Amino acid sequence: MDVIAVLVKASLNPDVIRVEPDGSIDVKSIPLKISDIDRNAVEEAVRLKQKLGWKLIAVSVATWGPISARMKDLKLAVQEALAKGVDEAIVVADDSITPGDQLTTAHAIKTALEREGVRPKLILAGEATIDEVSSQVPGRLAALLGYNYISFARRLEVEGGKVIAERDLEDYVEVVEAPLPAVVSVTQEINDPRPPTLLQIRRAARKPVKTVTSSELGGLEKPRRRILEVRGIQVKRKQVILEGDSLEEIAEKLIEALVKEGVLRL
Amino acid sequence: MKVLGVAYEPRDAGELLRAASSLNAEFHILAAGRAAENAEEVSKYASKAYILKTKSPYSIFKAVESLVKQEGYKLVIGEGYRNLRDALSRVAGSLNMPMATDAYSLEVSGESVVVVRGFLSERARMKVEVPLPAIVLFTQRFTEPAEPLGHGSIVELKPEEGPERVVEVKPKAVGEVNLEEAEIIVGVGRGFRSKEDLKLAFELAELLGGQVGCTRPIAADLKWLSEDRWIGISGKRVSPKLYIAVGISGSPQHMSGVQNARIIVAVNKDKSAPIFKQADYGVVADLYQFLPVLIRKLREKLGR
Ligand SMILES: Cc1cc2nc3c(=O)[nH]c(=O)nc-3n(C[C@H](O)[C@H](O)[C@H](O)COP(=O)(O)OP(=O)(O)OC[C@H]3O[C@@H](n4cnc5c(N)ncnc54)[C@H](O)[C@@H]3O)c2cc1C
Repeated sequence: MDVIAVLVKASLNPDVIRVEPDGSIDVKSIPLKISDIDRNAVEEAVRLKQKLGWKLIAVSVATWGPISARMKDLKLAVQEALAKGVDEAIVVADDSITPGDQLTTAHAIKTALEREGVRPKLILAGEATIDEVSSQVPGRLAALLGYNYISFARRLEVEGGKVIAERDLEDYVEVVEAPLPAVVSVTQEINDPRPPTLLQIRRAARKPVKTVTSSELGGLEKPRRRILEVRGIQVKRKQVILEGDSLEEIAEKLIEALVKEGVLRL
Repeated sequence: MKVLGVAYEPRDAGELLRAASSLNAEFHILAAGRAAENAEEVSKYASKAYILKTKSPYSIFKAVESLVKQEGYKLVIGEGYRNLRDALSRVAGSLNMPMATDAYSLEVSGESVVVVRGFLSERARMKVEVPLPAIVLFTQRFTEPAEPLGHGSIVELKPEEGPERVVEVKPKAVGEVNLEEAEIIVGVGRGFRSKEDLKLAFELAELLGGQVGCTRPIAADLKWLSEDRWIGISGKRVSPKLYIAVGISGSPQHMSGVQNARIIVAVNKDKSAPIFKQADYGVVADLYQFLPVLIRKLREKLGR
């Protein structure tokens, strides 16, 4: 049976970071959640699976350790994909590749697929993840596998052994066709992912999730990136809330403040 | 050490030269995209300029891959356009090179490069070290262009055709705005209920001599405004004196585009909206009630 793979990352959640008094951030203190745009990729993969009648697997590589403390979040991210309609999942989790980099992740995905003996016709990913925002993994993976690569797709169809996609670039949109097998990264605009229903979540609990380590995969490329420091961006805004008995009074106060700041001339 | 700068817009050449000039390196440029249409201009910023007349990420990938292999470039630099993220991530995969994106600065120390880059959707900066050879993509307009050097040699390369076929190219509609130059910007978000309602924001902007910008969903999903008004991590970075955010929640992806604004005002009906922590002046009110009042008061004071 033909297979679609979708890449799912348990990303650091940028909405719940804690900046220490000295400005530093300890990434170990940040919880993980499924990267927002991976939800779009899963939604699109499920749509194509239903249309084409192919099997859909999710592949997830743990980037942030320690694995023992992260297992719950890693599983939750994958569970969401399973609930939405993914058939089974492979999770690569090993402290020897955390904190990971994109080189390691792409290599681990390729190795995991090969070990499982699956050669997907189509691999979908989000255009970027919410922690690294680097858009590297799908392109790297395409190069490693020798697949065609279509990036930043805001529309996607699969027909007659080809992908047809609308690529969304800064100042133009292009419609491209490429033969399968291919890796496609999708943008946030491609669809409107709905959260899974309770019933879907309950059913997903029975779906197979295989967690593998580096040694079970015969060894993986070690990360080459060393993180020297992570610092929060300090927002130094005045944060004055203007109050008053009426909107007129508030508007007056605002105008007065802007004139005083020298950004408005009357 | 040999450094290759991949220019996509003509202006990139000078910016990449500035980044390379502190490295004591031999600097060459590969010009693709619109930069390739300006060969003479681009060649002023490097001792050698390869010209590759294409925007195709596959062709750029193949050209950079073979230059790195044949000429031994230790460092490849560029700016984070979508086609370059695509092309260079493939080079990184194919040649097993580390790559850092969203870089603000770069230093070479011995056999490795240290990069400060955006992280956590622009809520943080990460300082990382990766061994050479490596690829670094800067955020767009990360620095001022360097002075031209003179005239470098020009070598035209033939783009290698890929397996994909471009069926259609549609230029995006552009409005008549240049948000980067605007001194006052009124930003609109999903707090507006319809495209027609945006006229409130346009009226305010016009009164102040400013422009209207927006969040991603307003341009990309709803298509109420053209994409050259989209502000944020994946849109424009602006630096007005005054940014008035109306019906905008304050997501880090949007706010990273306005962090250089001198004064930020937020109008939002939800007093716990994150934007208030990132604004100088906040007004907790329904925009449909507050904007007409503000406009009326301004008209009175401005006599218009
Ligand atoms: C990788 C990535 C890149 C992204 N890049 C960008 C980017 O470049 N730019 C960008 O903008 N976004 C970007 N986003 C999207 C971003 O995360 C947010 O979804 C988006 O900025 C939210 O837009 P908004 O504030 O208009 O809408 P919402 O978050 O929906 O906020 C609407 C606000 O309006 C308020 N409101 C509602 N009604 C009223 C009313 N009557 N009066 C007053 N206030 C009202 C609400 O209280 C709410 O706070 C990106 C996301 C990702 C994952």
